[in-house]
Amino acid sequence: MSTEQEEIGNLTQLLQEQFPGAVQSYHQHRGDETVLVERSQILPICQFLRDDERSKMEMMIDLTAVDYIKESPRFEVVYHFKSLSLEHRIRVKVRVPEEDCEIDSIHELWLAVDWYERECYDMYGIIFKNHPNLQRILMYSQFEGYPLRKDYPIGRQQPLVEMRPVNERHDYGEL
Amino acid sequence: MGLITEKLPKMMAGMPGSDIIFTRMDAVINWARANSLWPLTFGTSCCAIEMMMAPGASRHDLARFGAEVARPSPRQADMLILAGTIVKRMAPRLRTLYEQMPEPRYVIATGACTISGGPFIYHSYSTVRGADTIIPVDVYVPGCPPRPEGLLYGLLTLQKMIRSGETVREPGIRHKPVTSETPEGITIEDIKSEMLALLEKDAVVDVRKAAEQMERPTGI
Repeated sequence: MSTEQEEIGNLTQLLQEQFPGAVQSYHQHRGDETVLVERSQILPICQFLRDDERSKMEMMIDLTAVDYIKESPRFEVVYHFKSLSLEHRIRVKVRVPEEDCEIDSIHELWLAVDWYERECYDMYGIIFKNHPNLQRILMYSQFEGYPLRKDYPIGRQQPLVEMRPVNERHDYGEL
Repeated sequence: MGLITEKLPKMMAGMPGSDIIFTRMDAVINWARANSLWPLTFGTSCCAIEMMMAPGASRHDLARFGAEVARPSPRQADMLILAGTIVKRMAPRLRTLYEQMPEPRYVIATGACTISGGPFIYHSYSTVRGADTIIPVDVYVPGCPPRPEGLLYGLLTLQKMIRSGETVREPGIRHKPVTSETPEGITIEDIKSEMLALLEKDAVVDVRKAAEQMERPTGI
């Protein structure tokens, strides 16, 4: 890791010049760069990555989150961007604390982000500020809690309709 | 069916009064019901592909048994083939669809997920453990997914069940045909307890112990 940390990638260098102090740490692996950035700077950084001639990230590949339950800040939102014209990728990570579980929405930059952010909210409870329709997308609205958080009780069931007792499953009766 | 509609009239043609046949009401009603089971188009995941193969593909022609007319509306359907995982969000819709179907209605559950929850039986926050906890199921077809032959056998079993029913006197009672028998001396309770023990054994994994027992990679 330490040898990789010394080699700074082009995109990382670009971000460090453009946003001094915003890049907290970085590394690269087989040509794919990863940067951990400041939470308040995520919107301008994504805007820059999309619009600048040297990065040109036309495509938002993925947006998800990781729950590091023993660390603080607890959550990590992960963005993957790809440039189709320049053929390079970058992974942008942002740490989000549990008590202030908010981050700026970037739905204005890529339209595809909309449902990714809703899914992330649905599964981890991370609130994306200024999102136009931040509702549950996979689970139902009556669902309580966030199922992919590590502290969600593993056996907890929240059925929508009452379950009927099943007695006849192995009981075929008389022919 | 060909026997009754084509061969029988020819055989009876020479006899006096042969255009009138006496039979049981049950036999006629059940014969008609069993041979025109119209399925509802309802597929939720991968088993649905297999279900589409059964009526659609030429080798496994479901039309041979009068069950090829897949209906998009539950009002016109007799049979609901559950194909695929039922999640909790789908459960109210499934029950609504079932209640919208006219009587008599029959349900075939195909695949491990609809029978018991399948691979999601352990710790899933979203999966219904068996579709029969939502609606009553007549025939279970195991498999992941079942072969088209399995689905056809399930349909034939359902037809057998319908034919053995008392339609006129006791319309609500269904006699389920026994499709497989347990060996002598083994009860259903034995099988249940053995299955539970197996499930618990599979579900509890000591990760640390397993990691220690793994062989260390050498020669790097």
